[in-house]
Amino acid sequence: MTPVLALAGRPNTGKTTLFNALTGMRQRVANFAGCTVEKAVGVMTVAGGELEVVDLPGTFSLSPDSMDETVAFAFLSEAAAERRPLKVLCVAEASNLANDAALACALKAAGYPVSLVVNMIDEARHNGIDIDAAALSAGLGMPVFLTSARNRMGLEALIDGVDGALPCEGAMDFRSVPREQLERLQASAQRRAETACAGAVRVPGRDLLPTISRSIRLDGWLFHPVLGPLALALTLFLVFEALFSVGGPLKDWMTQVIMTFSTRLRPMIPNPLLAGLVCDGLIAGFSAVATFVPQIAILFVLIGSLEQSGYLPRAGAMVDRALRPFGLDGKVFIPFLSSFACAIPGVMAARTIPNEKRRLTAILLSPLMTCSARLPVYALIIAAFVPPSFRPLGLDGRACVMAGLYLFGIVMALILALALRSTSLYEARPTPITVLPPYRFPKASELSRYVWTRCWHFVSRAGRVIFSLSIVLWALASFPRATPGSSPAVQIEQSALGRAGHLIEPVFRPIGYDWKISVGVLTSLAAREVFVGTMGTLMAISGEQGTTDDLAKSLQRSYGLPTAVSLLLFFAVALQCVSTIAVVRRETGGWKWPAIQFASFFAIAYALSWAGFHLTRLLV
Amino acid sequence: MTLADVPLRSAARILGFTSLSDTERCRLGALGVREGASITKLMRTPLRDPIECLVGPQLLALEAWLLERIEVEPA
Repeated sequence: MTPVLALAGRPNTGKTTLFNALTGMRQRVANFAGCTVEKAVGVMTVAGGELEVVDLPGTFSLSPDSMDETVAFAFLSEAAAERRPLKVLCVAEASNLANDAALACALKAAGYPVSLVVNMIDEARHNGIDIDAAALSAGLGMPVFLTSARNRMGLEALIDGVDGALPCEGAMDFRSVPREQLERLQASAQRRAETACAGAVRVPGRDLLPTISRSIRLDGWLFHPVLGPLALALTLFLVFEALFSVGGPLKDWMTQVIMTFSTRLRPMIPNPLLAGLVCDGLIAGFSAVATFVPQIAILFVLIGSLEQSGYLPRAGAMVDRALRPFGLDGKVFIPFLSSFACAIPGVMAARTIPNEKRRLTAILLSPLMTCSARLPVYALIIAAFVPPSFRPLGLDGRACVMAGLYLFGIVMALILALALRSTSLYEARPTPITVLPPYRFPKASELSRYVWTRCWHFVSRAGRVIFSLSIVLWALASFPRATPGSSPAVQIEQSALGRAGHLIEPVFRPIGYDWKISVGVLTSLAAREVFVGTMGTLMAISGEQGTTDDLAKSLQRSYGLPTAVSLLLFFAVALQCVSTIAVVRRETGGWKWPAIQFASFFAIAYALSWAGFHLTRLLV
Repeated sequence: MTLADVPLRSAARILGFTSLSDTERCRLGALGVREGASITKLMRTPLRDPIECLVGPQLLALEAWLLERIEVEPA
């Protein structure tokens, strides 16, 4: 049985940063409570051999109050039940030691082999806090390590000190202990931690620690009744503006490079069928996603910076009061904002919401936020149907439409939240407290790791799907072969894909889709961005996309504005992502909620698309 | 008096809690909001609720209804 090193502790104490430093794994790191929503596993080598390192979700006390806390204690309980060799590293924030050390004391009292890692020691020293590790160790009765995982301080001593794990003999199984007993144990541990810290931690006599003082000064501006909302609105606007002003030209450049490569490659392949597979299938499909990497990277740089700076929980606190009439609260801000990157981490981040009904509501509504997978679809349709000359009030019209779509997702979520208020899912009493971590400068190395991981995840996930689908689509569109001499349009119409598209076309015809878009909608169930690749393949194969033309222009020639409006509304609402459906199933423990979610979102999307299509036809 | 009665930028000492479940008390205690602790009511968020408070070395945003359930005395 591989010995286990479990990292436990309150949220936002740097567990994940320590985990990354110990294992070299690329875990997500952020400056808000509840970033790690399930345990992550890695391996580290110590003198005695290899240790499995487990990064547990943040826990406030021994009494689990949310699903992620339950995951942490279930893991420890199972290790104890299996008598697995285990060592718990309880990670504490050095500037908040008296509070954080309580969990370490409680785990030790529960029979677990615990060491205390006093993290962010550099920040504590900057605050003038002096910690006597030996005295603290004596007071708590456990080894104590002083570290700054962010700057790799004290890690060698920690690795040397963690030379092995002990079998869990007689440790408490938290799952079978009454809550009252756990609460008594926690209270007793709190007293012990306070006593130990009183003798080992010297806090400067001044009123406020510098990091806290600085945060309060900044909050004075960012919580200002006028400046605060303005700063929040400006932040969100800058995110969208950067996506287009910086990401747009980069995307155009990448598109040009890939198209030039494809054009030069085609005559070098003697077999026309193979040339079609490579240029119209593989390259066209993959480039349709790869060219969006710059915009995705910019999105994650900005979201990652906001996460690491500590601004996100404040933004949540700011919108808390405004969300309450909709039956929500500021706790949904982080799941919702995470969903702007991808609905999957958003749905999983809902685990940090202690109230079960609120958690379920957040899970159901998070996929309505405009995720990065929608971005390629929106960008393609906007580029095709919103001319660059469209400049309302002198602003970039395309950026305005994109911002409008982001806003539309939020409004839809609020409307549905309001509708859920009249169901049994409504919970009147909100979670009343939010931790506001000190403001910190985002660290370039953590940020670049975060952005790289997210971009690679996007490319590999989309790339794998598109690679397979491109070949399948090309084959379906190329076989059976039409009579020799037929035009490409006739070929694709007589192919298996053409026939399937025609079969389902009647379902989508009322909302303005032809058989090609119907096929695109079907294949986008794998992932929304696949729609772009599918359309790229279909348009290229059918001969409507010239060698110097791009997909947007091809779509512009083939469809009208009503169809574009219908498509935007459909993709804004419909749950076109099997991965999200699978995660919702896992998070809700069955197929009931994902089935309700998929069916209701499809019905709403269809109705809105129908209305949008016919209204636009009347107006244009 | 309750924390809701304490003026902004003023410190108080927590005496106890009213109308809170044991679970809610335990969660507050884990965040440092417990009997005997010092709490400073700092500022309101733009919509006046929640309210930013300093508890030990930690900044917390507490919703207004919770402030009415925390009994305090001036520090």
